[in-house]
Amino acid sequence: MSQGLTLPRNTTQQAEKPLHGNIARWLHRITGTVIVLFVLVHVVAQTILHVPGFAGIKAGMPWLPAVQSQHWVHALLYFSIVFHTLYGLKLLISEMGLRMGYRVPLWSIVGLSALVGLREVLRYAGI
Amino acid sequence: MTMEKITVTAEIQRFDPSADKEPHFESFEVTGLANMRVLDVIRSVYENQAGDLAYQFACRIGRCGTCAVRVNGVSVLACQEKCKPHMRIQPLKPFPVLRDLVVDRTEIEARLEELKLAPLRTHEHPGMPEPITPKRAEELCHMDSCLLCMVCVSACPAVEERPFDGPAFMLKLRHMSKHPQDTRNRLDQAVEHGMLECFNCDVCTQVCPADLSPAQAIREFRQELMFGGKRPVEGRPG
Repeated sequence: MSQGLTLPRNTTQQAEKPLHGNIARWLHRITGTVIVLFVLVHVVAQTILHVPGFAGIKAGMPWLPAVQSQHWVHALLYFSIVFHTLYGLKLLISEMGLRMGYRVPLWSIVGLSALVGLREVLRYAGI
Repeated sequence: MTMEKITVTAEIQRFDPSADKEPHFESFEVTGLANMRVLDVIRSVYENQAGDLAYQFACRIGRCGTCAVRVNGVSVLACQEKCKPHMRIQPLKPFPVLRDLVVDRTEIEARLEELKLAPLRTHEHPGMPEPITPKRAEELCHMDSCLLCMVCVSACPAVEERPFDGPAFMLKLRHMSKHPQDTRNRLDQAVEHGMLECFNCDVCTQVCPADLSPAQAIREFRQELMFGGKRPVEGRPG
């Protein structure tokens, strides 16, 4: 909290700006959901692919092995893991006492997560 | 120097509980100076187009917090917020609407009374100014600049989803907890009033018209909770 005595701002333009906290909150929830969904789908898919008892189901789903090796799925998953981890850590650290803003950390984490996601896309493209 | 003029479209939520079943929007066009505030638009609508429009304002300089409304879904002080070409103006949520843009503040006042936001002293006032460090005085003064406009409470996602009184009340409790003469357990009060439900998203910090950070006040309470006991407060008599 700024310790300077401040008067209210002369003019605000709040309604034109995004509410960073709401963006962060929704991204955190969505990325968490993506991680949980991927783990669920991954467990089910691996079971069908590798357990002999599910060979009948596997035969009826020839597209299944390809689902998990789509570049966009990996990019989304990596983005989600990095964002969810780093933003969660940011929340923990700020609650432990380290003062930090809400704009710069959020967009830094989004940028870093996007880079990791992009790396996956490039890796699939052989770059 | 001539000031540029603009025409804005304001969709204002209208609701008269004695006549309407549901709130509805009425659209108005207002022409004025390009730098007019949302309150100027509302006043122009009231004076020229809809004399029965209910709204509130007092100081017009962002000191009283009376004119708080939602513009395009974001809670703002109408007297401070610059007008936009197209605006959807609504009363603050989640408070009950008395009429049009006026909300019922009865519950707010009741909660403030319940929190007992006056220092509980262990001794009588000595009758002369009590010593306090300049740093502590400045900090208290800064926190005391909260307008209780309820912009933060209206914008807070935790208030909407969880049993949480809202950031403004937490800030007031933190203000009291830092007061050298106050002996009431403000941390317990904060927990009782939903402090742990806060998402730590800082929306309250972003929208606060007085540049305060209720989220930081909540974080300080949480540190106190995690690391145990009330940290020594400067200026508190030993």
